Amino acid sequence: MHFELTEEHRMLQDLVAKFVNQHLIPLEPQVLKREAIGGNPEPTPEEMQKLDEICRQAGLWGLDSPEEFGGADLPAMALVAVNEEVGRTAVPFHFPPDSPNLHMLRATVNEQQRKKYLEPYARGETISAIGISEPGAGSDPANMSTRAVKDGNEWVINGRKIWVSKMAEADFTILMAVTDPEKGRNGISAFLVDRDTSGFIVEREIPMIGGHRTYEIVIDNCRLPESQLLGERGRGFAPMQLRLSVRRLQMASWCIGMARRAVEMMCEHARQRVTFGAPLADRQTVQWWIADAETKIHACRLMCQHAAWKLDQGQDVRTEISMVKVFGTEMAQEVVDNAMQCFGAMGMTKEMPLQLLANRIRAMRIYDGPSEVHRWVIARRRLGL
Amino acid sequence: MKILVAVKRVIDYNVKVRPKADGSDVDLANVKMAINPFCEIAVEEAVRLKEAGTATEIVAVSIGPKQAQEQIRTALALGADRGIHVETDARMEPLAVAKTLKALIEKESPDLIIMGKQSIDADNNQTGQMLGALTAMPQGTFASEVKVADGKVAVTREVDGGLQTVELNLPAIVTTDLRLNEPRYASLPNIMKAKKKPLDTTTPDELGVSTEARVNLLKVELPPERQAGIKVPDVDTLVDKLKNEAKVI
Repeated sequence: MHFELTEEHRMLQDLVAKFVNQHLIPLEPQVLKREAIGGNPEPTPEEMQKLDEICRQAGLWGLDSPEEFGGADLPAMALVAVNEEVGRTAVPFHFPPDSPNLHMLRATVNEQQRKKYLEPYARGETISAIGISEPGAGSDPANMSTRAVKDGNEWVINGRKIWVSKMAEADFTILMAVTDPEKGRNGISAFLVDRDTSGFIVEREIPMIGGHRTYEIVIDNCRLPESQLLGERGRGFAPMQLRLSVRRLQMASWCIGMARRAVEMMCEHARQRVTFGAPLADRQTVQWWIADAETKIHACRLMCQHAAWKLDQGQDVRTEISMVKVFGTEMAQEVVDNAMQCFGAMGMTKEMPLQLLANRIRAMRIYDGPSEVHRWVIARRRLGL
Repeated sequence: MKILVAVKRVIDYNVKVRPKADGSDVDLANVKMAINPFCEIAVEEAVRLKEAGTATEIVAVSIGPKQAQEQIRTALALGADRGIHVETDARMEPLAVAKTLKALIEKESPDLIIMGKQSIDADNNQTGQMLGALTAMPQGTFASEVKVADGKVAVTREVDGGLQTVELNLPAIVTTDLRLNEPRYASLPNIMKAKKKPLDTTTPDELGVSTEARVNLLKVELPPERQAGIKVPDVDTLVDKLKNEAKVI
């Protein structure tokens, strides 16, 4: 048993750290300004184009996509290190191509869908969204009410989806719908819906905290040919979960980076700021904030690395993934909150990245499974329920 | 043309350096280490010469503990072709480093040796010059521009009065200054390729070099903490203080 990244992965982490320090952190003042006036904090298209170019030159492209798509196909273990570094900045950023649905598509496409959807998506030429949650069914997708009914060679879909990210730019959407209501979670299927398909209506944009935006979609007699069924009928649920494991580990890894950033800022401030004749760094409360943060960051990193290692070995990691998702997001929330407290009024300003980090972490405690549902998953396994 | 580049393992420049509690040395426990920034500039210059078709092979050398192989791998990922690690746990002084490099130069016969003007740990700024004296090779130190043509290298040096350009016959030694170039990133594909590039190891003993210290390190301590500034009511007080307290005018 050893606790070291390989030499190449350490060098990769250094490379990502340099990229974050030299190209993302300098964008923070503009990002914070935009967010403060209700704008979109994400890098602008011009900023993104520059970042894309630098990433391509540095080979920071397709980090988790397979080599057949020109990707680096990095193991989950290396991605923990990469995402930890990316988490250190308040700039919302994903290494290109931003392709969270890649793994799900790979596991499900047929030959024709592979050419039309997967390949351009893996090359970063298209953007996709995924519609899972509904106004009445979030963490409990088995409660889904969006229905797809076979009519000759076509599927007719009716229903409503909510909290869908990327809808404004998506070239196609993976839409989850119930095809066989009597079969519960084995009655859910996935469909590929092109942008501007008749009956697929983007109803409204919903501004979220942390500057994020999601969308509500109405599906009204949307007719899709049989060729748009993704994977097998009734088998939509498992590949969707596949997407979520990778994503939750990524979130917990970001949380390590966010907490590290908060501690860095807190330490710098605590040494300088004097109150009642002593620097904050001399106060036990502040020292304990820092000590607890360091301890929990360390624990979270080990948990993420262990879950990643199991994932790389092809083992079942569902329990561990639930654990890191809960622990990572709650740990980062606490650390960033203490850092804001340490900064006093300055910590409340929109000129500092702390509030943006805090809001992003707050949202992370909900999406991709709220803490309570993940705790329930862990307890159910242990209780044998 | 063959280039030999020296790379040193030092504390990462972002790290706040601290002395050990007993003041015997700098504390290196759990401290992030990296390639010396001036050495990285040296590697970049060598890679540019290779990309321009001037150089055909780049050999990266590091002298130090086993972990110094990480810095050789970084040089390989930046574009060096092979590495030589001279393994030693001794605290290497500039003269011992210069003698080790001289022994390697005799074996490898490079046409050009590029190295940092100094390393950011001890800031000696001696090795390149000593190597020049030991090998009787011409040296161009503090380089801000390097041009190789017709068996000669023109080195623009950053000196106190401005820029000085010297022309040296090859083989020659060049030491790099900050403005020579901006090193590229070691890209991910090149990091992966670096793993497969050859890396030989040897020791100062095998090269017949003594690592015995000639300088005793007595004590390492932090510089005195800066005193807080004061506000003066008027210019007269300022001039008085500058004259009589600070004694700078």
